[in-house]
Amino acid sequence: MSVAVARHGDTGGFNRWADRRFKYLLIWPAVLILLLVGVFPFVNVLVVSFQDISLVFEDKSFAGLLNYKRLFTEARLWQAILHTVVFTLVALPIEFVLGLLMALLFVEPIRGRQVFLALLIIPTVISPIVAGATWRLMFDNQFGPINQILGWIAGEPVTIIWVLQKGFVWPAILVAEVWQWTPFMFLLLLAALSNVDKSQVEAAQIDGASKLRIFFRIVLPAIKPVLAIVLLIRGLDLFRLFDVVWALTQGGPGTRTETLSTYAYVQGFQQFEVSYTSAIAFVVVVLLSIAIVLALRRVEIAR
Amino acid sequence: MKKAVLAFAAVMLVGASPPAGAQNAAERAVEAAKQFAGITLNVTWEAGLQANDPLNFSGPMWEELTGIKINVVEIPISELFTKTLAEHRAGTGAFDLLNVVPAWMPDLAEAGALEPLDAFIDKYGYREDLQDIAPVYRDNQMAYQGTIYGLPDDGDVLIMYYRKDLFGDPARQAAFKERFGYDLAPPDTWAQFKDISQYFTENPPHEGFYGSAMIRSPGLIHYYFQERFRVEGGEFFDADTMKAQINSDIGVGVIEGWIAEHEFMPPGASAWGPIEVLNAWLAGDLAIMGWWPPPGRWSAGYGDFEILSFVPESKVAGKVGYALPPGGAPELAAGFSLAVSSGSKNKEAAYLFAQWLNSPEISLQRVQLPYALRDPFRISQYESEEYQNLWPDAKEYLETLRAAAETGLLDLSIRNTFAYEEALTRAITAAFGGEDPQKALDRAAEEWDKITERVGLEDQKRAYADWISKPNAYPN
Repeated sequence: MSVAVARHGDTGGFNRWADRRFKYLLIWPAVLILLLVGVFPFVNVLVVSFQDISLVFEDKSFAGLLNYKRLFTEARLWQAILHTVVFTLVALPIEFVLGLLMALLFVEPIRGRQVFLALLIIPTVISPIVAGATWRLMFDNQFGPINQILGWIAGEPVTIIWVLQKGFVWPAILVAEVWQWTPFMFLLLLAALSNVDKSQVEAAQIDGASKLRIFFRIVLPAIKPVLAIVLLIRGLDLFRLFDVVWALTQGGPGTRTETLSTYAYVQGFQQFEVSYTSAIAFVVVVLLSIAIVLALRRVEIAR
Repeated sequence: MKKAVLAFAAVMLVGASPPAGAQNAAERAVEAAKQFAGITLNVTWEAGLQANDPLNFSGPMWEELTGIKINVVEIPISELFTKTLAEHRAGTGAFDLLNVVPAWMPDLAEAGALEPLDAFIDKYGYREDLQDIAPVYRDNQMAYQGTIYGLPDDGDVLIMYYRKDLFGDPARQAAFKERFGYDLAPPDTWAQFKDISQYFTENPPHEGFYGSAMIRSPGLIHYYFQERFRVEGGEFFDADTMKAQINSDIGVGVIEGWIAEHEFMPPGASAWGPIEVLNAWLAGDLAIMGWWPPPGRWSAGYGDFEILSFVPESKVAGKVGYALPPGGAPELAAGFSLAVSSGSKNKEAAYLFAQWLNSPEISLQRVQLPYALRDPFRISQYESEEYQNLWPDAKEYLETLRAAAETGLLDLSIRNTFAYEEALTRAITAAFGGEDPQKALDRAAEEWDKITERVGLEDQKRAYADWISKPNAYPN
């Protein structure tokens, strides 16, 4: 009897141990894959950034802080960062305001809502590089519809070279970017607005609160966590801005529309500066990781 | 279509063959390659039209003759260098035969990515056949530091096309002479080019017609800079110090000249790429333009294959004259050499395929393929009666290409050429976008100096010395 109990007890202990450990057994392949595709390249980038490798010259000896020093002395890099930050600060509020206005419009039942919703989110599902190439055609000075429409309005032929002329290149990129990503903003904000507690809104209405007051005091606080995440995701996307710029201007004319990503691409794949590009990538990943953690803490999600 | 082309090729090969017993280069390659029957050769080729040659013509024909299968690895031109070098660095041995733009040869040879070909050339008696290659390609696009790494296989060169019907119109000739004081003819100088552009833009034969258009898009514009800069007397570097000289008055003058010419080109032409220029030309909307050799064929209507459906129907057939660009020293602008990968496990077979492709017999057929982009590069091709009879003006076309091959200017080809080209291109587009050309070129020159420093002053000096020692590095 005692032996049986002991055996039973042993088995129970093993089962509990196995239960506790089984979950780890299940997730280890995924962890391994994540390590392989995430950590290994990250460590490799770090190692390479301390060497002096280009595709043409393969010097794998330790080069110290050579590439990091270059980061701080390369005016073109800082110009690209400035372009990226300014563009993010301009595009993000526009996308947010437009997305929010559209979401407020669609949160109440309107006729044909489903059809409009389906049409409005189409830009988001298009590949960014395809969208960029399409906008390049739209902005084509000879055959593009944009110049034609402007020509009809102006009453004379308009031949703006959108991808070259000073004063037009950034607006062209902005239009393409806002067109593609405002629907993303809209969709998430619409989902958030749909989940706002209607009883609170109704109570405020009964108490005679104005629409603006209801929006700022009830609706906005209620969607704040989603809003923060949406802004964070889009902010990060904008910081990595590449496709539409590459498709429209390739960072030109000169370096006028060069962003951090297009600069890194040129260094890595046109100038073949492997180690220097690794240093850029490492610094950007570290800075963005810090920014993400701080942002998540700020919106109390990380906890 | 494929069968018809192959049948045509087989007939041509038999016709071109010398008497039995006296094997030509193509036959020698085929005979020797039979020992490798059953293997597959991986061959890199520029993606798109270029690749139709090995895919539809030479590849199947080689397999039929030798039993060696050809696997064409199509790679966009912008990635061809990177992939070639990356595979070499990784030691994959993924490629056997390489299409190499000659300007890349120093970097690829120094990296050890290319197999020296001298031994194969001697073994298979190909040295004499190389003498038939036009000197500008043979002497400049084949070797680095005295060793042969590639067989020049494409007669790329930027020539001018003009509307000879309009240039030959007596009323226009008189009007032009009265306005500008000299005869209306293909321009000898860029100042004349601007006059001609102005005249035709101001006196168009129909609405939407302009004097000229040239390729101005990033990625290609540096070729035109290289040509005009040298024709005007510029030198890229001070050969003693390797300080960049592109920001000299000559360099600034080139860009200022372009900007002035844009006034007489179609609206937006300052951003036009090759396709826009080609479209306007074939539509009959330009008096003069510059391009590689293919529009000479397409303008005449030669090349009416399904595969070329993206080319608009020519409205200028029979109306086209061919000329060298102002200064008479056209840019060779890319081109291709066939090279053997040093990492290949089938080097000899790869070389034999290259020799066969490049041989006078087979290459004559390849440069006549209406859908491919290989252009004539052998003396025997310029003199071929068969080619001269392809369309009424083909003889004149070939004579122009031959003249271009005598004076053609080499693309700058030193260590890390890509980086120099990229910096130069950025300066040019910045100037097109409104920046002061002097400022833009000063910045580019600074970048060139940094690149030189990065490469190593002495190494780069050596590479530059090798390059300028070639006959057509600068106008003679």
